Amino acid sequence: MTHTLHRKGTVENLSDDYVLLCIPAKGINEEGSPAKLQEFLRIAWGHNPVNIGSIVLGNMYSAEPETIMANAREVAHAVFVDPQTVAEVLKELKEAELGMSVVVSGLFKAVSECCHKAGLKRHTVNYSLGIWGKTEKLPSEEVLEVTTMCGHGMVSSSLVNFLAEEVKKGRKSAEDAAKEMAKQCVCGIFNPTRAAKLLTAMAAK
Amino acid sequence: MRIDSETCIACELCLPYCPMGAISMDDVAVIDQEECVDCGVCLRSGVCPSDCFIEEAAPWPRSLRATFSNPLTVHKETRIAGRGTEEMKTNEVTGRFKRGWAGLGVEFGRPGIGTRFRDVDKVAQALAKAGVEFEPMNPVTRLMVDQSTGKINDEVLNEKVLSAIIECRFPLEKAPAVLGALKEAAKEIDTVFSVDFINRVEPDDSVPAERILTEIGIPPSINGKNNVGLGRPLAEGGD
Repeated sequence: MTHTLHRKGTVENLSDDYVLLCIPAKGINEEGSPAKLQEFLRIAWGHNPVNIGSIVLGNMYSAEPETIMANAREVAHAVFVDPQTVAEVLKELKEAELGMSVVVSGLFKAVSECCHKAGLKRHTVNYSLGIWGKTEKLPSEEVLEVTTMCGHGMVSSSLVNFLAEEVKKGRKSAEDAAKEMAKQCVCGIFNPTRAAKLLTAMAAK
Repeated sequence: MRIDSETCIACELCLPYCPMGAISMDDVAVIDQEECVDCGVCLRSGVCPSDCFIEEAAPWPRSLRATFSNPLTVHKETRIAGRGTEEMKTNEVTGRFKRGWAGLGVEFGRPGIGTRFRDVDKVAQALAKAGVEFEPMNPVTRLMVDQSTGKINDEVLNEKVLSAIIECRFPLEKAPAVLGALKEAAKEIDTVFSVDFINRVEPDDSVPAERILTEIGIPPSINGKNNVGLGRPLAEGGD
């Protein structure tokens, strides 16, 4: 379940893409964890995330945020667009002492700085070593930059191309198109703010 | 997943939503059952104006398609929705990856291509020969008939899923040999896989794997996952 890894992009266009995940360890500290995950989401919500979600419940574009915050179990997610906010959320999470594991996905250098500001030290990292095998089957890099924001693969490359065309023809705004894609990502880790920028660039070609 | 041909109005709205491109038009929309991975995106999208998607429980081994492709389906063994385990996400609590060890995830079919288990089988056997320890709680490991060889149950080899992850670990010094074996095995498959590499962070915030990966010409990504050490209780050695 490495769904927040492998988000493709450049240093520039990944600089507004940070996913926070909160999870208990099965069989060790899961007792009472739903309330802690819900508290994680409430703390995150106070810092204006561009998405929140919890698997089964959906994300803030497919369900009411209050419903997600009140009922999250298993794992919870929140997406932010700047490292300063991430540092503030981490600081608040540290003070809350929830005892749940928290994983931040984003540019390594920026996340390391966020941890430093929040008084935390990174414990373990997970790198992407890229895509191997029959890579000729892959769609274009610009499409991958959008689709890989849903690690479970719920946003298809054909949907990205279709919606980019809709934006180009003026039938849909880039923001609405990005929200339509965000709805498909059940965990709520899709970043619609970044997606709107990427779609706008695609539509301009 | 199938489409009720009696109620489909051939509006074509669902076509772009399928991650596998398995929906096409005849007189009405139809789903290629060989290519469909039962991920449920078409149904959940709510795009169909006449509610004609029909989701039914599939018998073994087709049942694996939804288990591995629909993130809302929970694997019975791991009690985790999705395709893998908690891997490094809870490492400060579980101690799954110690200092001096590396974790490897090989995510078949990702991004967005899908995979048959016959390709997973080829790579699993190559990794077994390279001496990795397969993660016992991982759903792909549970499909192996012999973890010492990595051989996967013949019954499932033709099943297609959106993605399936091999998870394993090994001493960090074995990374060049393991990744070399993976590189060779990648030439033998008909899909793609995304590669995850896990390592503990040192007290000075450095990561030993970075130097090794760079030396063997596989530079680590600029972005990725960081466990920030907030889980409690800490595992032994979890500092």
